[in-house]
Amino acid sequence: MIYHPPSGSRDLLPLDVAQKHWIEERLEQVFQGWGYHRIITSTVERLDTLMAGGAIEPSTVIQLQNAGGQSLGLRPELTASIARAAVTRMAEVCYPQRLSYVANVFRHDAKGSQGGQQEYYQAGVELLGTTGVMADTEVVFLLLDCLNNLQLTGTDVLLGDAGLTHSLLEVFPVEMQATVRDAIARLDRVQLETLSLSPELLERALRLMDLRGQPKDVLQRVSQLDLSPQQQAIVHGLKTLIEILPAATEAPKVTLDLSLIQPFDYYTGIIFKVVADTPQGRQVVGQGGRYDNLLGVFHPQHQSYPGIGFMLNVESLHQALLPTGHLPDRTPPSDWLVVAKTPAAAAAAFTYAQRIREQGSQVRVELHLDPEATPDTIRELAQTRQIPHIAWVAEDGTPQVETVN
Amino acid sequence: MLTIALPKGALLKDSIRLFQSVGLDFSGFLDSANRQLQIPAVTGQAQALLVRAQDVPVYVEYGQAQLGIVGYDVLQEKQPDVAQLADLGFGHCRMSVAVKADSPYRSALDFPPHSRVASKFVNCARDYFQGLDLPVELVPLYGSVELGPITGMSEAIVDLVSTGRTLKENNLVELDVLYQSTARLIAHPISYRIGADDIGVWIEKLRSQALAAVR
Repeated sequence: MIYHPPSGSRDLLPLDVAQKHWIEERLEQVFQGWGYHRIITSTVERLDTLMAGGAIEPSTVIQLQNAGGQSLGLRPELTASIARAAVTRMAEVCYPQRLSYVANVFRHDAKGSQGGQQEYYQAGVELLGTTGVMADTEVVFLLLDCLNNLQLTGTDVLLGDAGLTHSLLEVFPVEMQATVRDAIARLDRVQLETLSLSPELLERALRLMDLRGQPKDVLQRVSQLDLSPQQQAIVHGLKTLIEILPAATEAPKVTLDLSLIQPFDYYTGIIFKVVADTPQGRQVVGQGGRYDNLLGVFHPQHQSYPGIGFMLNVESLHQALLPTGHLPDRTPPSDWLVVAKTPAAAAAAFTYAQRIREQGSQVRVELHLDPEATPDTIRELAQTRQIPHIAWVAEDGTPQVETVN
Repeated sequence: MLTIALPKGALLKDSIRLFQSVGLDFSGFLDSANRQLQIPAVTGQAQALLVRAQDVPVYVEYGQAQLGIVGYDVLQEKQPDVAQLADLGFGHCRMSVAVKADSPYRSALDFPPHSRVASKFVNCARDYFQGLDLPVELVPLYGSVELGPITGMSEAIVDLVSTGRTLKENNLVELDVLYQSTARLIAHPISYRIGADDIGVWIEKLRSQALAAVR
């Protein structure tokens, strides 16, 4: 019998782990640099917690059997868990709360022809308890800093505003709003063109679907629609954000896309996606947005707090980074190979190896374990494994150091 | 470079003609001596992939092709996550329910529960009969679906009908139409959103050519 991992799961071998760590370490450096603190929440959540935000389809959650009769599931994302964990303590902590995570998530991908994978790794942040353009800008800048620290260039950022787009949909008859929204979210122009709407509304719907391109052009086009004071304020906020953005060096190309909505989500303000060109095709490597009503869902008295965050998909980043050559292409070799010259020198070899380990930080010292091997075989072994130093240790503890590579 | 997935079969000629009209020549695919599955446009601005119609949305969904042409029937069957940007107005056909000419049924509503229905389009068929609240047993086939009722394996079929000749020659009659289908221009959503490879310019050209052809 051969034991396979369950379909949709995969094992990460040492080189995969080294590359994954390379990515995660750089992201965590940035998170910490911006004053974010890591939070660890439970992998298993109650199903109602996962669903509460209204953005998760039950069929995508991997559910668990529980003896107590509770419906449990593996988290498909972190935001709901963090909102649940943070909101009950919101009264006691200082605002804003800056939280970050690096964690695995689980998902059944049932739709379309994509999918199969069930376990993913994500890194992200949540900035809780504060609203306004400054907070939005911090999170977008933080995201750009992450890409910068990964040396991932040639990316695109899609920026939208769920609040603005939703409010622009309010001109449509109530019974048509969901259909129009759904067609725009799916970019289904053919369906939009065949909806039974008045010519003016049809024109409005098509214009809404095409509100995308260079930020300045799009802002101008949206300003020509007759906007409420509230909508004007949102447009003004977007303008402020976009004006601050290009200051960043080697910034990704930003496309303002006001048709960027999902049929179901909890976003209420700006939303964004990061797109990278990978050998497997162009794909979204990260996304996020503002959710000012989500925390209230989890608060015992339904008191709401604003929030904004994003997540980066570590697998997609890995695919995008592979061709850049920045990722480690091998696991780090040991720095020392310690050999006991005679079987009686074993104790001395262990002592000597420990002494080297204690001298420096992150020194990799391995012992040679085969007493039968000839010195030449050992040298050859060190060479192929790219170990630079061999220490031949005698019974009395005197080492003979040889540099091989 | 912009990559376009073109469907083998009935839609290929019209698709190539449409791209020719905007200055992208992939007529090499029509040459019977051609064995290549990937050819560049002579102008070097784009390349095309020749794939099975059912596979067009797959290449577009994964982003290996940014644009594609495919029948609405395939989109209905596979429900891919792609942007549907234009009805190109060619490749007219319809998805229909058909039975043997001597069948007593004059509508799918007359079928007794748990009738057998053979189809290549099992998802479309399932959705349709579920919509009628009529439980049926679906028999998935890969081709020559007409043989289902002829051999007696199934009472009915759900299949694409364009002229109706195949049905007539096999002594079948069309009862109900599930939907009308035409060729659609589809795009990889993310590439379309970021406007990669001047995709928006090409889409506008294709749309206006397609509209001009219909008028």
